[in-house]
Amino acid sequence: MASTRERLGVTDAMLASYGELIFRMSHNLQERTGDPVRLLDFAAIEAQREAMGLTDAQIAERLGLMREQVIFIRNWEESRRFRTGQQAYLIELGGGKRFRPERVVRLEDRPVYSEDAMRLRAAFTYDPERVREFVERGWWRGDDVLSVWLARHVKERPDAAALVQGDMTISYRDLGAKVARLAEGLRQAGIVKGDVVAVQLPNVVEFAVTFLAICRLGAVMCTMHMPYRQSEIRALLAHARAKAVVCLARAKDWSPAEACLALRGELPALKTVVALGEPVDGALQLQRLIERSSALDDRATPVPVASDPFLLLYTSGTTSAPKAVPLSYHSMLSNARLSAPEHRVGAADRILSAAPYTHLFGLYALFVAWSVGATLTLLPVFTPPDLAAAVARDKPTGLWTAPAHLAAMRAQKVFDPQAFSSLRLIIMSGSACPPELVGWYAERLPDCAVTQLFGMTEIQAALYTRPGDPPEVAMRSAGRVSPGTEVRIRSADGRTCAPGEEGALEVRGCLLFPGYFENAAANQEAFTADGWFRTGDLARMDESGNVSITGRSKDIINRGGVKFNPRDVEDLLDAHPSILQSAIVPMPDPVLGERACCFVTLRPGASRLTLEEVVDYLAGKKMAKIKMPERLIVVPEMPLTPTRKIIKSELKARYVPA
Amino acid sequence: MPEPVDPAQAKQAIVDYCKKRGALAVGVADLATVERIAPPGHRPSDLMPRVKSVISVAVGGQTRGAWQLPAKALAYSGSTEVRAYSIAYACAFFIEQRFGVPAVYVPPDLDPEGGPRVPLQSLKLHAELAGIGARSLAGDILLHPEFGFMYYASVFSELELPADAPLAENPCPAPSCVNMYRQVGRTPCMKFCPAQCLNGEVDEQGRQKVMRYDMAACAELTQEYEAVPKILAEAVKDEVRSQGAEGLLDPDRKMLWYKVSAGSGGWFAQCFECMRVCPIATQAPQSDPIYRSKER
Repeated sequence: MASTRERLGVTDAMLASYGELIFRMSHNLQERTGDPVRLLDFAAIEAQREAMGLTDAQIAERLGLMREQVIFIRNWEESRRFRTGQQAYLIELGGGKRFRPERVVRLEDRPVYSEDAMRLRAAFTYDPERVREFVERGWWRGDDVLSVWLARHVKERPDAAALVQGDMTISYRDLGAKVARLAEGLRQAGIVKGDVVAVQLPNVVEFAVTFLAICRLGAVMCTMHMPYRQSEIRALLAHARAKAVVCLARAKDWSPAEACLALRGELPALKTVVALGEPVDGALQLQRLIERSSALDDRATPVPVASDPFLLLYTSGTTSAPKAVPLSYHSMLSNARLSAPEHRVGAADRILSAAPYTHLFGLYALFVAWSVGATLTLLPVFTPPDLAAAVARDKPTGLWTAPAHLAAMRAQKVFDPQAFSSLRLIIMSGSACPPELVGWYAERLPDCAVTQLFGMTEIQAALYTRPGDPPEVAMRSAGRVSPGTEVRIRSADGRTCAPGEEGALEVRGCLLFPGYFENAAANQEAFTADGWFRTGDLARMDESGNVSITGRSKDIINRGGVKFNPRDVEDLLDAHPSILQSAIVPMPDPVLGERACCFVTLRPGASRLTLEEVVDYLAGKKMAKIKMPERLIVVPEMPLTPTRKIIKSELKARYVPA
Repeated sequence: MPEPVDPAQAKQAIVDYCKKRGALAVGVADLATVERIAPPGHRPSDLMPRVKSVISVAVGGQTRGAWQLPAKALAYSGSTEVRAYSIAYACAFFIEQRFGVPAVYVPPDLDPEGGPRVPLQSLKLHAELAGIGARSLAGDILLHPEFGFMYYASVFSELELPADAPLAENPCPAPSCVNMYRQVGRTPCMKFCPAQCLNGEVDEQGRQKVMRYDMAACAELTQEYEAVPKILAEAVKDEVRSQGAEGLLDPDRKMLWYKVSAGSGGWFAQCFECMRVCPIATQAPQSDPIYRSKER
């Protein structure tokens, strides 16, 4: 079948030669001099005919083309020039509004989501029936967006303290201004909606500002725990396809910024490194972006919406099987907003998190505080004396902490009940809470509710005890479900356990993440066929719905609330010239909860191996200190399954004291 | 034998009839002048070979309340051209019944042969020559010194009628617009056009010197039908794009996009921003409908 052009005899050369001319000769561009028709100035009318526009037939006659050829060429030229999406302009006109070109971004001028951003967004699949329920019940709301929350506090309580770090107090107005400037600085550095920005910062003002600025642009924050070094950072940045990193210029004995800059060559997605602290060649300076950028033009950069992803967090494992958790405002902020009244947190509260903001439990402190416009008092890095000093100085009313933090406080004898008397709420989470520890603090802080919370990166805050719960509940359970959450405890044969019966804890609800990012195997394992999330924990539920966590079925090591998968360490150890096989299992610890215990079998000919040699070897491979084994046991042989997998539980039972 | 018709009396009867039905202004254009100015194929005689008169009727534009509406609503609330068409339609029947000669309501539509911007007949030319509107700096939209912004319709008949003269003065630019032009180099319509499609010059006497109208920019914003082929073309997958996109540009199909779009109800013919800020359109002595009715 002949094409339209072939039927009309229009060639590329004709389009190129006549397109512009026909466009101009038509009515597209009109020019009139004087007022010739009204004045019946026929000479002027004739002289201006072409300037006022010719019909297609007149143009065809002038140019010696067929009329149909003129129409086709004109249509082709007009379609080439015309932009679509003009209705956006019209909708912004009138009704008391005057034309402001900057007010409207045309459809075709909108920023395009990158391929990586689209891939991340594609991970957000939900059961439509569940979504309808979440919306109808008011759990998911359109205004649950951090930028919206911040703007509300800036407007309603501009002078209220938003952040307190040492002597520095930052009001919500100042916080809003800093965020607007950093957002513009990041935008100018190329960050757009959907980009992943990795952040490795302690709990400082700059963390909060950076997080909010990333959110303002509609970008996604991926946190990296402070102990992570080049090996973990490389794997994480690669999997997240991070476009930028915000980190310290210099830590104690290394430069995170320089390490990230060195990774740019091997990570094509990574374009920008922003450093907090001293200037680093090749990196942007965070303080400079915050203080010297102009404010982001709100109209040019639309505020993100609640269904947008805003966090990409890694639960454990960085090199072998990364489990990246994509999170939307919907799930995280609804959970925090609904939970704030349950925790009895209001705008007058001052929240201190001993947990790092790179961990979701720490972020939960931010979300709860920002849901009500409370103040966050900041403790950059936890040590027992620093936490004691921060509480005494900043007088927080709420404390987010891991049991290990409080155990260390008690062990180092830095806890002073008088200094802690400002507290009305303690939330302990991150690892199993010894009932005795809860009771010890509850007894010494009679005006403070010492509560427990069970959460995970995948679900944030699913269970918690409430202020006012009976001591037995507060001490021996992780509490009841948060609003919008359902839990069930299932036996090994798939039935729902009776009250008091131990089984596998499963969760679903408006707080649930959509699934691991690009990890089908993990998703297959993590979700039941009917959409419940298998937490991997064992639990019991009493008749009042209070759930006690009784153990974990996973191999994750939980060192003071920081969980990691030892698989990548094992992989490195297996490559050691003296090691035949390795297995790392958790070793109970009274302060940190667990430490890593490493079992090895030696290669033939290797006579001995010490813990120091293992640690030196791993340090040489740039492994994070937190993941270093803290005990080494050389065994003659590993207990193995028929398929030659090491039976870790048997190692643990045989060698590690309970 | 029908009785001889007195042209002046017939004209007065037609004017009275149209005003009774709601027309604000009625005039008769000089046929010979229209025939001379209109391009071939678009002259009255091209449509009605034995035409002897060109009658132009106009109805009022918007209320003051309508000017306050957002553009998306003003496009509907403000589009009163249908009332002009119905008066012209009735007027044609009136002429035939009263005077026994053929008359036709001039179709206010585009010429399928001329393309999507070329009308069958220029209602603007008829009205201007009939003395009920003058071309403005706002893309040649007609304005009237008493009635401001109006909608026009035409009737052709085989009845000879005495012609009116074009307006003696052009109300555009208004004195306030001239003042603004002197200060900032632009009149309100130029400044507030969202597509920046208007440009021009005012001479030392405060009259129009040059009117420039980027109709493509105006149409791009307000007449989305221009974009329909492009929208469809973008929807065509890459592998068939070269054929699909160009097929959409076929002259025989282009009018279809206009028809599809105009009939969809979701598209605009005008954004009205130039008229919203025009002192003649919004503040002409009889542009206020209450005042207007009292005057009658």
